[in-house]
Amino acid sequence: MSSFRFDLLVLLVFSIHFSPALSDLVISKLDRRIDLTSQIVRVTLTLKVENRGTDPVSEVSLTFPEHQANNLALLAAVSTEGKGKTRGAATNLPIKIKQPDDSPPSLIWYAASLPKELGKGESLNIDVLAVFTHVLRPFPEKITQAESQLFLFQDSAHFTSPYNVKVQSLTVKLPSESVESYTKLENTKFSGSEIKYGPYEKLAAFSYSPVIVHFPSNKPFVVAKELVREIEISHWGNVQVTEHYNIIHGGARSTGEFSRLDFQARPHVRGASAVRNLIAMLPPRAHSIYYRDAIGNISTSNIYADSSKTLVEIEPRYPMFGGWKTCFTIGYGLPLQDYLFQLGGTRFLNITFGSPMNDVLVENLTLKVVLPEGSRDISVSVPFPVKQSQETTFSHLDIAGRPTVVVEKVNVVPEHNQYFQVHYKFSNLSLLTEPLMLICGFFSLFVACIIYMHADFTISKSSASYIAKLQWDEVQGTIQQLQDIINRCLLIHDKLEASLRELSRTGDIQACKAVRKSADTLLKDFSKESKPLLAILQSSPQAAHILPKVEELVVKERDLQEKIMLKHTMVVDSYEKKSGGRDIENRVASVQQKISVLKQEVDDLLEFIEDI
Amino acid sequence: MFYAGDAVPGNGVSPQNDVLKTDKKEDTLKERPSRKNKKKEKETIEKPSVKSKSEKKPLVLPVEASFFALFLTVLLGGFYVVHSVWAAAEAYSAPSIVLTSHSHDGLHVFDDFREAYAWLSHNTEVDDKVASWWDYGYQTTAMANRTVIVDNNTWNNTHIATVGTAMSSPEKAAWEIFNSLDVKYVLVVFGGLVGYPSDDINKFLWMVRIGGGVFPHIKEPDYLRDGQYRIDSQATPTMLNSLMYKLSYFRFVETDGGKGYDRVRRTEIGKKHFKLTHFEEVFTTHHWMVRIYKLKPQKNRIRGKTKKSKSKTSFTTTPRSGTTKKNPWH
Repeated sequence: MSSFRFDLLVLLVFSIHFSPALSDLVISKLDRRIDLTSQIVRVTLTLKVENRGTDPVSEVSLTFPEHQANNLALLAAVSTEGKGKTRGAATNLPIKIKQPDDSPPSLIWYAASLPKELGKGESLNIDVLAVFTHVLRPFPEKITQAESQLFLFQDSAHFTSPYNVKVQSLTVKLPSESVESYTKLENTKFSGSEIKYGPYEKLAAFSYSPVIVHFPSNKPFVVAKELVREIEISHWGNVQVTEHYNIIHGGARSTGEFSRLDFQARPHVRGASAVRNLIAMLPPRAHSIYYRDAIGNISTSNIYADSSKTLVEIEPRYPMFGGWKTCFTIGYGLPLQDYLFQLGGTRFLNITFGSPMNDVLVENLTLKVVLPEGSRDISVSVPFPVKQSQETTFSHLDIAGRPTVVVEKVNVVPEHNQYFQVHYKFSNLSLLTEPLMLICGFFSLFVACIIYMHADFTISKSSASYIAKLQWDEVQGTIQQLQDIINRCLLIHDKLEASLRELSRTGDIQACKAVRKSADTLLKDFSKESKPLLAILQSSPQAAHILPKVEELVVKERDLQEKIMLKHTMVVDSYEKKSGGRDIENRVASVQQKISVLKQEVDDLLEFIEDI
Repeated sequence: MFYAGDAVPGNGVSPQNDVLKTDKKEDTLKERPSRKNKKKEKETIEKPSVKSKSEKKPLVLPVEASFFALFLTVLLGGFYVVHSVWAAAEAYSAPSIVLTSHSHDGLHVFDDFREAYAWLSHNTEVDDKVASWWDYGYQTTAMANRTVIVDNNTWNNTHIATVGTAMSSPEKAAWEIFNSLDVKYVLVVFGGLVGYPSDDINKFLWMVRIGGGVFPHIKEPDYLRDGQYRIDSQATPTMLNSLMYKLSYFRFVETDGGKGYDRVRRTEIGKKHFKLTHFEEVFTTHHWMVRIYKLKPQKNRIRGKTKKSKSKTSFTTTPRSGTTKKNPWH
C-alpha cells in the first residue's frame, strides 16, 4: 500500500513536470469498461486518436502504473479504419514495451505500432484489451463458511494516458447488483450492476483520480498454481494430452472451520464461494478420458460429448474453500489427423496452448510437446511471448530419446488459449524404425537359440580325461549288455526249474525234453553273444578292475548252467525209468546243493557289478 | 524262488505227497487238454473281436447328438467364463476403502476415505500429527502423508491405550492427552448416517478395554448399561460425555430434522444437542463417514473469576493424590 501511494505521488509530480512531447496526438474519445465479474479483470478501451500535430505518427503509447503492469497478463490492440458504418477491416497492432528514458520507473509504457502512419488531421479508432490478474484483493482476508467474499479493486477514474483526453468515461461492471462501497466522485452513477464514472472532459495528460470499489463476489476463484501439460505425438494415429493440475482456491481464505451439514443443507448460503466443480471444454472426438490423482481414480466426473466439443465436468474430491488446495491429473487422447498437418517437407502440430478449463488462471504453465524419435529441425511459433527450451524424453522403444519442446509461461489467462504450431521434419522411413527394431530383436533371439542348440561346446576332444570318460562309458555299456544276457540265462534256468515242476505234476516227459532242448539252444546263443562283449572288456584298459569279477561271473554262470542241465537230465531220466520220488531227490540232492551255492554267488556278483 | 526239490517235507509225509502228486498228475492230465482248449478258445474269441475293431470304429453317439453335445459344452465353457468374471468383479473385488451400493439410479460410490485422506494431504501442514484409532494408521500414512500416533503395527500397547483413553475420556481430559502428544487433528470414522457398520463407535469397546488395561481410571462398567454399550437415551453419562461420542455425533441430530437416528445402532442417540469446547470441526466427508477435528489452541488468558478459585483448589488438590479421577499425565 505504501509503495502504491508513493507511485501516485510520483505520478502526480510527473504529470506536472513531464514535457508534452507526445501531445501531438489527442484522444478525442475514450471509453473504458472494466469487467470485474470474474477473478480475471478485463479492461476494454475504445479510443479515437486524432493527430493534431504536423508530423505523421507511427505509434500510439499506452501507459499503466507499475503495480498494474506487473499483473498484466495480456495486452492486445486492434485498430479499425473509418467510423460508424464505414468501418474497415480490423488489424492487430503489435505492442512492445517501450520505456522512454525520462519516464519514472513506476510507469510502464507500451507502444502499439500503427499499420500505416497517421497523417495530419487524421483520426483512428483503436480497441485495446488489457487483462489483469491478482488485482482483486479479498477484504476481509479471512471469512467463515457463511460469509460471502468481498473484494477490493483500486484504479483511476481517469485513464493515465500520455495524451490529452477530450472526453472519457469509465464503466465498472460488478458480478452482482450489490456493492459494499465505492468512491463517489462527480458524475458517478450506480445502476443495476454497473458503476458509471464520467463523462470527464478536457483532462490533461497523466491525470489520475483514484477510485476504490468494495464489492461482493461469489464466483469461483480457481487458480492453478502449476499446470504441466504434456502433448505426446505418436505417428500411429494418436495425440495423447496429459495435464497435471495443482489448484488452489484464490479467494478469501477460510478461517478453518467447515461444517458439512451447513454446506449440504444450505449450499448457497453456507459455502456460496466454494468451488464445487470445474468444467473443461475438450476438443471433439477426444477419447479415453481419465481423471485421477495421486491416490487413485476419482469417480465424480461426467462427460457430455457432441460434434463440436467434449464437455467434461469434474468435481474435486472435496469442495474447495478459500485457501484449500487439490491436485489431480486429466488425460485424454485425440485423433492425429485433426492436429498434425504437412506443409512442404515439414510437418506441424496445430493445437491449443492453454488449459481447456473454463475460467482458470494458471500461474505457471509448462507445456511439453514430445515429438517422435527422429524428428529434426524443430521450431515453435506461439502468438505471444513465451520461454522455450528443449529436452529429451525417454519412452517405449527409444534409443536416443524423443526430442521435447518445453514452453513456459507465467500468468496464463483463458485469452491465451490460442492455437500454436510446432514445426518439425520427419521422414516417412523413420516410421519403420520401431517395428524393424522389434523384428530384429526377436529374430536375433531365435537365431541365437538355433546356434546354441546346434553348437558343440566341448572344450577339447583329445584330452586324456575325455578319452577315459568315453572308454568308461563304453565299458559300462558292455557290462550292461552282459548283465542283460546273464539275466536272460537266469530266466531260462527258471524256466527249466518250472518245467521240472510241471513234470512232477503232469509227468509229461516229452514236453520237458522239448523245453530242455530249446533252453539248450538259447543258452548256446547267449554264450556266443557274450563272447565278443567279454573281448571288448578285456581289450579296454578302463575295465581292468572290473574284468576279473566279470569273468568270474561268466564262469560261475556257465557252471550253473551245466549243473542245472545235469539235474534236468537226471530228473528226466529217472522219470523215464519210473523211479520213485525219493530216488530222484537223493540223486539230485548233491547237484542241487551246488546249484544253490552257485546261484547265491552269481547273485552276489551281479549285485556288486550293478553297484558300480 | 521255489525249487521243486527244496520244499519237500520229511519222509513221513512223502507217500501222501506221492498220492497227491499222482492225483495232481491225473487231474492236470485232464486239465491240461482242457486248459489247452481254453487257451485256444480264448485265442479264437480274441481274433474275431480284434477283426471287428480293425474293420469299424465304434460310434457311441449319432452325429447330430454329438454336435449338440459339443455345442452345449462350448456354451457351458462360455458361461463359466462369464460367471467367473462376474464373481471376481462383484464378490472378490471389494476393496474396503471404496464402498459401492446399487441404488435405483445406478451405482453409488462411497469414496469418503480417500476424500478425507486427500484433504488431509493437501490442506494441513506437513508436520501436523493425526490421531485416530490404529486401524487407519497405515492408510493415513500412505495416502494422507501425515504422521499418525498409532498404526496397524500395534507394537506399543501403552501408546494404543493412551489413544483409547483419550477417546474414552471427556473433552478436556482428551484435549490434555492429545496436546501432550502434539496432536493437531483427530480423525474418527462414523457410519451412522449411511449405515456403515465398521465405524469407531462399534470399535469403542476395544478403546475402553485397552485403555482400561493400562490406565486404571478408565473402568469398563462406567460405559455399560446392563452389560451393553449403548448410545441411546439409556447410555451412561460417561459414555455420553466421552470424546468418541461427541466427535461422532456432533450436530448429527440436525441431519434428519431433530431425531438423530443412527442407522448402524438402529436407535436415536442419547445426547442430541451439545457443543464442542476443545475441538472444532474442520472437515467431514460427503457421507459423513470420516470426520476430522482440530484441537483448539489454549486460551491465552483465564478470566479473573477462575483465578481466585484456582488458587483455592491448588491447596485442596495436593491431599487428593489418592483419588482416581486425576489425569495420569499430570
